Amino acid sequence: MNTMKWLLKREYWEHKGGFFWAPVVVSGLLALLTIGSMLFATVAGSQGSFHLDGNNAAINLQQALNEISDPQKIEFAKGLAVGYPAVAMPLMFTLGFVVFFYCLGCLYDERKDRSILFWKSLPVSDRDTVASKALTALVVGPLIAIAFALALSLLVLFTLMVLAAFHGLNLFGLVLGDTNFYLVIAQIISFIPVYVLWALPTVGYLMFVSSWAKTKPFLWAVGVPVVGGVILTWVNALAGSPFVLEGYWKVIVARGLGSVFPGSWLGEVAESNAAINPDNAVSMLLANTYSLLGTANLWIGVAIGLAFLAGAVKMRRYRDEG
Amino acid sequence: MSSVLHATALSKHYGKQAAVDRLNLEIQPGRIVGLIGPNGSGKTTTLKAALGLIPFEGELKVLGFDPRTQRDDLMKEVCFIADVAVLPRWMRVRDALDFVAGTHPKFDRSKADAYLAKTKLKPTMKVKEMSKGMIVQLHLAIVMSIDAKLLVLDEPTLGLDILYRKQFYQNLLEEYFDEGKTIIVTTHQVEEIEHILSDLIFIREGRITLNTSMDEIAERFTEIMVSSEHYATAKALGPIDERSVFGKTVFLFDGISRSTLAPLGDMKTPGIADLFVATMKGTYA
Repeated sequence: MNTMKWLLKREYWEHKGGFFWAPVVVSGLLALLTIGSMLFATVAGSQGSFHLDGNNAAINLQQALNEISDPQKIEFAKGLAVGYPAVAMPLMFTLGFVVFFYCLGCLYDERKDRSILFWKSLPVSDRDTVASKALTALVVGPLIAIAFALALSLLVLFTLMVLAAFHGLNLFGLVLGDTNFYLVIAQIISFIPVYVLWALPTVGYLMFVSSWAKTKPFLWAVGVPVVGGVILTWVNALAGSPFVLEGYWKVIVARGLGSVFPGSWLGEVAESNAAINPDNAVSMLLANTYSLLGTANLWIGVAIGLAFLAGAVKMRRYRDEG
Repeated sequence: MSSVLHATALSKHYGKQAAVDRLNLEIQPGRIVGLIGPNGSGKTTTLKAALGLIPFEGELKVLGFDPRTQRDDLMKEVCFIADVAVLPRWMRVRDALDFVAGTHPKFDRSKADAYLAKTKLKPTMKVKEMSKGMIVQLHLAIVMSIDAKLLVLDEPTLGLDILYRKQFYQNLLEEYFDEGKTIIVTTHQVEEIEHILSDLIFIREGRITLNTSMDEIAERFTEIMVSSEHYATAKALGPIDERSVFGKTVFLFDGISRSTLAPLGDMKTPGIADLFVATMKGTYA
């Protein structure tokens, strides 16, 4: 009997809209947009409307692509091989929103619609239930989003390469022969453990508020820290600004509420981003992400997140009044 | 420890108000117990305490488990319907059965399928598309397919029409109940469960006011219709209730033997509803 498997399935059934259909719609729109504009370019390009290097003679796409020198072609392929997943960035942003609102609702809604009385009539502990919801937010949601992101990125990349090949520019060998093309996939998947640790404080906090609030969990979760910050700032300003409150906004509001957004850790680790090029992009992003594991910021967040989750388990134990 | 539920000085306060007030209770296995009381008398609170849904003071053991510390073990042996319509609205019939089958070691899927085959419910139907009566059918199908030692039903038929209500209790009695099981049920529709109960408990202001088997009720309580000539004699025997009907007086006696009462008029065993009204007089005054 695998209770956790069924608990995770249960969360997926209930929140299929956010975890499955939202990425479907966003990927669909992105595919439409990018592939549509590529097709438009090839159609428009075949008429001859390209101007290269200030040369005013209009040439068609075929000619334009033939003008590309070999070094340019290699550079372009290198960029593609490492940068193609960038097209799916909006999916990660969507994931942040989905996870945020999922956490805020997951322990509140079951009390509001009283279905908690059904869940609690089954031999499933509060600890397992809360764990299944946290895992849904931290692992299941990101895995689905990443699957969509990779599928979309590959679709767009291959469409681009097929179209280019039709017009005489063959990039297949260069892109598929580039190790970065494969490494970047491994790298994206390797972000999941970091995401789990990084997003824990926000997920824990939101789930705790969700288990505690009698009404309006969003207002409590977001309103209290933001209004608190506004009042602090105001009082501070009236008193002639004796305190620097930047830390409050950065730690409580940005880190506390915003850590469910993938990649929100990238600004945390001091490293110059200026020198990113196709050759070092993968290793740099990896180093940037994994150096997080050496920061107190990450681990303090993990501890706080786990404490909030433990609080949510305690809350759920006796909160059933709705 | 053979009793299904054993409470000693069970108390639960909401603020300063005691919802359950030093309540003592013992329920034996193989019984169908009606827990009857007016609104706010502490029925639901008592049951919630027994199901480990709220903290409480005093001592309470359910099937030998403490609901505060051993809830996870307890829930393998106990099943409950806390209210109508608590099944999640997004869930499909099929999902509900899959989930319970996956998480409850004592759930028999084939039983549930057999119950549902007798209803209009389809596997792909969502709870939000169902009427209240259909939701209860689904919930009952799930609960009846779980081989639990104790089933707790808190107002399981509230808001259902009489066809669903009758069918609900009939199914429960015919297809679920046996000597190894115990059912505790609360409801305001006392007349409807009268014939299925083996024990009756009245609760008022957080305390037990009556705890008896249905067989004992016939021995203990007598309702008698007395004409005016015997009024004073009957009154002298200390009835617990009196009301007048067509110029005669109906008295309710507790513990007066039928041979004593027989000469005074026509006797019968009172219904639970009459007993309830008589003993709960003044509750809302």
